[in-house]
Amino acid sequence: MTVNYKSVFDIIGPIMIGPSSSHTAGACAIGRAANSIFKDKPTDIVIHYYESFAQTHKGHGTDYAIISGILGFAPDDSRLPYAIGLAQEQGINITFIEEPENSPINHPNTAIVDLKNDSKQITVAGCSVGGGTIEIREIKMDGFDIKPKGPLPILLVQGEEDEQQNVTAQLANLTKINAQQKYQSSKGNLYEYDLDSRLKAHEIDELVRNNDKIVYL
Amino acid sequence: MYMSVAELVDAAKTAKKPIYELMIEQEIKISKTSREEIVKTMSRNLDVMEIAVKKGAEGDGVFSPTGLTGGEAVKIKKYRATGKTLSGDIMMQAVQNAISTNEVNSSMGVVCATPTAGSAGTLPGVIFTLRDRLNLTREQMVNCLFTAGAFGMIIANNAEIAGATGGCQAEVGSASAMGAAAAVEVAGGTPDQCSEALAMAISNLMGLVCDPVAGLVELPCVKRNAIGVGNAMIAADMALAGLTNKIPADEVIAAMHKVGKGLPKALRETGLGGLAATPTGIRMKEKIFGKSRDRD
Repeated sequence: MTVNYKSVFDIIGPIMIGPSSSHTAGACAIGRAANSIFKDKPTDIVIHYYESFAQTHKGHGTDYAIISGILGFAPDDSRLPYAIGLAQEQGINITFIEEPENSPINHPNTAIVDLKNDSKQITVAGCSVGGGTIEIREIKMDGFDIKPKGPLPILLVQGEEDEQQNVTAQLANLTKINAQQKYQSSKGNLYEYDLDSRLKAHEIDELVRNNDKIVYL
Repeated sequence: MYMSVAELVDAAKTAKKPIYELMIEQEIKISKTSREEIVKTMSRNLDVMEIAVKKGAEGDGVFSPTGLTGGEAVKIKKYRATGKTLSGDIMMQAVQNAISTNEVNSSMGVVCATPTAGSAGTLPGVIFTLRDRLNLTREQMVNCLFTAGAFGMIIANNAEIAGATGGCQAEVGSASAMGAAAAVEVAGGTPDQCSEALAMAISNLMGLVCDPVAGLVELPCVKRNAIGVGNAMIAADMALAGLTNKIPADEVIAAMHKVGKGLPKALRETGLGGLAATPTGIRMKEKIFGKSRDRD
């Protein structure tokens, strides 16, 4: 069994702008994940929608929700319905594509987000499993092709083995590490940690303060 | 973490504690957050629900940008004032609360997803009606949300709560079951009766499809919450009267999961089947989005 819902607030919550927890709040969460990975302002955003997302994104406000997440807004941010205009004002090019085939990550609520600017490019494949909860099933960044099992939270860190050991030690004090995976590319190593429970904001801040390459989803 | 209804009910009986208490204890353990903070967060969720319950039924009501839904919570409120409702004022108050919340949702207002936004009216519909019916304190109402959450987590982790994967039975059906179980506990029922109410609520909505017109969370979603809240109240009353579902709650949840998997894609939040595929539904979609978008 995949335990996606670990907190009572995954079920009673989130507080959000309507109309759909999976297609609006969940889309915002996928956008936020992409924003956390990119850690920079994109010049170009391309969103590929599949299945239910492709058929109903306009009706559900998925477009402004996912863009608002990429801008770093929360699902209850009052700017959420205006996110597309706000992004365009910043000179960001936005493209939405309704893909006709089945989801490559095997879920009806799939969005694949491509972000790029002059210095980097990433692809994040997320699916919205219901009630605003999401899974991230593929991330392409810095030559790495990361394929998490899905349920969040996930922590990613690039670097050498000593840095990895350092992060592992810090995480062990905070939560249970359910799984660890090492990826290699021409840029070096990347470690993925599947965590048992969510970290608190101050714990994430401290991890990032010690190592700014850490990505927490 | 409680992974089945049977496990949760047994734990409540063994510890002689209410289900909401077990839920709070589990949340403290998993989130490593204080009880005070957890209760405060839940109380904020209740605030958001209360605002939505009121907002849609005030003045002329609220309307969605498409104009497909809105203003109907106000119509119910006026109708209730005549004192001539067929199903009684309590039931129609519950319906008003549910519709008001989902009209706020469709109008891109702020709601608390319980468990989803499309089904956000069902649980507040139950709780704010019972507040008046049973003179509930604020604390009791917050506890209702923890009880509902405990059962909702089990449904979500064993089956699903998204219309795109399981149909409306997974959204309004789950919300209705959560509301039914919470209503039983706050009304003084036993953990076993909570489980029976949940089982009856899901059984009664088994197979409900997700067929939003134009892919919008409006038709029939807003009124599906009326049946969600009505079904929750009825299931709770049946359980409190001593009726049982005969098929245990966990088996009902597993059955819902299988039914959801068997639903064709057209009936899982694609806006391609059911009411969305009626001539009127298709005309509405064309009027809102134009013909170019259709590819079915």
